[in-house]
Amino acid sequence: MSMKIGTDPFHERVETGINNSFMRGAVAGAQERLRTRRLEAAKELGNWEEWRALGEEIRQHTLEHLDYYLMQLSENVAKRGGHVFFAQTAEEANQYIRDVVIKKNAKKIVKSKSMVTEEIHLNPVLEAAGCEVIETDLGEYILQIDDHDPPSHIVAPALHKNKEQIRDVFRKKLAYNKTEKPEELALHARKMLRNEYLTADIGITGCNFAIAESGSITLVTNEGNADLVTALPKTQITVMGMERIVPTFEEMEVLVSLLTRSAVGQKLTSYITVLTGPRDEGDVDGPEEFHLVIVDNGRSDILGTEFQSVLQCIRCAACVNVCPVYRHIGGHSYGSIYSGPIGAVLSPLLGGYDDYKELPYASTLCAACTEACPVKIPLHELLLKHRQVIVEQEGKAPISEKLAMKAFGLGAASSLLYKFGSKVAPSALQPFTADQRITKGVGPLKAWTEIREFPAPNKERFRDWFREHKKGGEQ
Amino acid sequence: MKVTLFVTCLVDLFHPNVGKATVELLERLGCEIEFPEAQTCCGQPAYNSGYVKEAKEAMKHMIRTFEHAEYVVAPSGSCATMFKEYPHIFKDDPEWEPKAKALAAKTYELTQFLVEVLKIENVGAKLKGRATYHTSCHMTRLLGVKDAPFQLLKHVEGLEVIPLPNAHNCCGFGGTFSVKMGPISEQMVDEKIRHIEETEADYLIGADCGCLMNIGGRIERKGKPIQVMHIAEVLNSR
Amino acid sequence: MANGAIHNRDTFLQTIAKRLGREPITSTVLRPDWKHQPQWTVFQGYSQDDLLEVLKSQCSRIHTDFVATTADALAATLKQTVAQYGGGPVVTWNDPRFAEYRLMPLLQSEWPNEQIDVHIWDASAGRKNIEWAEKANVGITFSDITLAESGTVVLFSNSGKGRTVSFLPQTYIAIIPKSTIVPRMTQAAAYIHKQIENGEQVASCINFITGPSNSADIEMNLVVGVHGPVKATYIVVTDR
Repeated sequence: MSMKIGTDPFHERVETGINNSFMRGAVAGAQERLRTRRLEAAKELGNWEEWRALGEEIRQHTLEHLDYYLMQLSENVAKRGGHVFFAQTAEEANQYIRDVVIKKNAKKIVKSKSMVTEEIHLNPVLEAAGCEVIETDLGEYILQIDDHDPPSHIVAPALHKNKEQIRDVFRKKLAYNKTEKPEELALHARKMLRNEYLTADIGITGCNFAIAESGSITLVTNEGNADLVTALPKTQITVMGMERIVPTFEEMEVLVSLLTRSAVGQKLTSYITVLTGPRDEGDVDGPEEFHLVIVDNGRSDILGTEFQSVLQCIRCAACVNVCPVYRHIGGHSYGSIYSGPIGAVLSPLLGGYDDYKELPYASTLCAACTEACPVKIPLHELLLKHRQVIVEQEGKAPISEKLAMKAFGLGAASSLLYKFGSKVAPSALQPFTADQRITKGVGPLKAWTEIREFPAPNKERFRDWFREHKKGGEQ
Repeated sequence: MKVTLFVTCLVDLFHPNVGKATVELLERLGCEIEFPEAQTCCGQPAYNSGYVKEAKEAMKHMIRTFEHAEYVVAPSGSCATMFKEYPHIFKDDPEWEPKAKALAAKTYELTQFLVEVLKIENVGAKLKGRATYHTSCHMTRLLGVKDAPFQLLKHVEGLEVIPLPNAHNCCGFGGTFSVKMGPISEQMVDEKIRHIEETEADYLIGADCGCLMNIGGRIERKGKPIQVMHIAEVLNSR
Repeated sequence: MANGAIHNRDTFLQTIAKRLGREPITSTVLRPDWKHQPQWTVFQGYSQDDLLEVLKSQCSRIHTDFVATTADALAATLKQTVAQYGGGPVVTWNDPRFAEYRLMPLLQSEWPNEQIDVHIWDASAGRKNIEWAEKANVGITFSDITLAESGTVVLFSNSGKGRTVSFLPQTYIAIIPKSTIVPRMTQAAAYIHKQIENGEQVASCINFITGPSNSADIEMNLVVGVHGPVKATYIVVTDR
């Protein structure tokens, strides 16, 4: 699956992540800042819960009528002279884009940040077609010149790198000779990229929200790179996940307000650009030719299932920014370009359980993600649903766990069995017990006691005490 | 007032003192405590592991066990939350959904019961020292009980409550997560303990035995001089 | 302009309908009346003066200089601001408002006489305009709609209002008639939505610009001025 990053097994990726102390420091610091900013931005509005409810309602309505709105969108794009390609699979999308590139005899392509093109693994296809592909989002650019290091966060892709690492990469790859100051690094990138925009044949963008009523696409950035990518090259190709659509400008506005506040705590980002078709006659800048590629790539299989609400996602990463698991293991541990809670829900759906069966378990179900989500996706409940599917349909749960849970079902449903089991537990665990606690357990207790002490079951259960207490016995 | 105690399996088996404190506290406040012996577990371990069928058996058993109760009180935010989830889990089940709703409606977490139903904030407790309080995730985010514990602790004579930095962070328990994802859980609980240490508290107080077993077990393993107490025990101190 | 092509649509949409458990929708879907509409309550009842204050205070949060002036003093204010940015070359829209606000003498004689190059967008010159914009030190446009809450200028492109004027030059100045200020993006979106309902064609590019370009991609440190302008000034004309 193309959204996959790395080949190491899950527990090894986690170990690598946990041992990467710089990454963890960077992630923890970023989470703290972004979380605070998001809360402040929400507080400033005063009625954030109403906004969330509106966001949810808009997304649910749109998904329920998705075919209608995609029909309307495509008609309106075509009316304005743009071309629309509906791609069922990643391969179809890549094939179409490749064909456009070849037809245009393009040599240089500039891109603004797009998760879906990462998902369909577009860049290698373009490079194989003989193109130079340049990512222009600063974070993506850093990763690209660092031998295609994968993104670790859906909004801040280079979050895992520190400025010294970036300086070294710039020195090695871009003949950079200044310091690790972010201002100097950014200025250098600006200089390097300016010329690329001016000489590129094609600009490729993602799409934050398509607007059905007008056939427009909305791009949200702080850097302004999407404006340059779409204003200068003669051909523009925009790639969107099929669910990234709203009925009208009015819903776009609401979702953009939710997105920028949730992602970075800003009321709006510096550049929000709404583009409709190619440039108008008489216009000087903007593309002569516009292609919109609408990608399914597994999304339709989610529609109509218990997981449908995950398609409400507007890719703000608020869930990632509050996730304690993400904080300790970092984005690469998820093995997918989609990391954090949204990644743990989405990756198994788009990429299958074979590659991502551990992700639904990499959560304490603390619900910080659900609480943060601006469009009210019940993320922790969807993780639970995954576990249920893994147990009931996929049969991927370990046999020992199945037996234990069977026993649990019987035991907890029968007071007699429960009473008996709990009565004998202290003596069964006696060999491992010392001083009222268990330090070295066996079975599932072993994993617990590798980290912490475990209290030995009391000889006198609460129920035994209560019986005496009620009798008026001492205590 | 008649209170039916849902003591939770963790308390029953591992922390009977929490159950005792809950009973003594509520009795002192004038409640008559009833403990249905048939009670077992709310089903959360199985439910959160994806074993819904098995969990539902336990849940039905609990619904039957507490059917007669007027108020169900549990010294655990997480287990009380589970009862509150039953209607969602039995949705569209004509037989069990109404029963699940009835149970959910009368279930309270202990501190919530004290503040919202008994309308008591000062229970007359005394405990000398410096404490910090761990807000458990299910209790705050899902059950929505955020202030009650602090309102109660504020009135404990002699107790100074220091805010816990980054209190919103999970402690890393997560039921089976603590064993299935041991290395991640370890990082999370260590981070929690670092924040607890920053408060220089003598006591770590919580309202969920799951979290307390996790944090307490790690504190013990590391030999830190912090005493872990359930809020029922604190409120029952005199 | 000829209609574009649409490929593979039918099966794609049929698959969606099938997954949603119904036939493809063929009749018109009306947007529901959303149950919550908090967006309309933001700065409800604020006067134009109140909104100006909101805009002003927001400017300090978006690294943008705020200057208030009058229509009479606008040319002088603009001249001063450009001087602060180090002078020309200057690139501007070809927009009747420059004449309406009596800025043409500045653009056409005063600046050129002081050796400050001024390029007024000229569609007939084709891509030459982009070169001007790229070499310009200052880009100047009017704001079509201004959002107080976020400190945003909304720019609708057309043949005289090139897209790149606002983001290719080193610095950017927006002239904001006070009457263009609305509470927030809600009002701008509603205006555009109305246009569409009335069958009007929306501009091929609508820019919502909030201050200079910036990035926090390096260790979450804010760097102002990445791909677009490194500095921005809003000049509000308070009597228009």
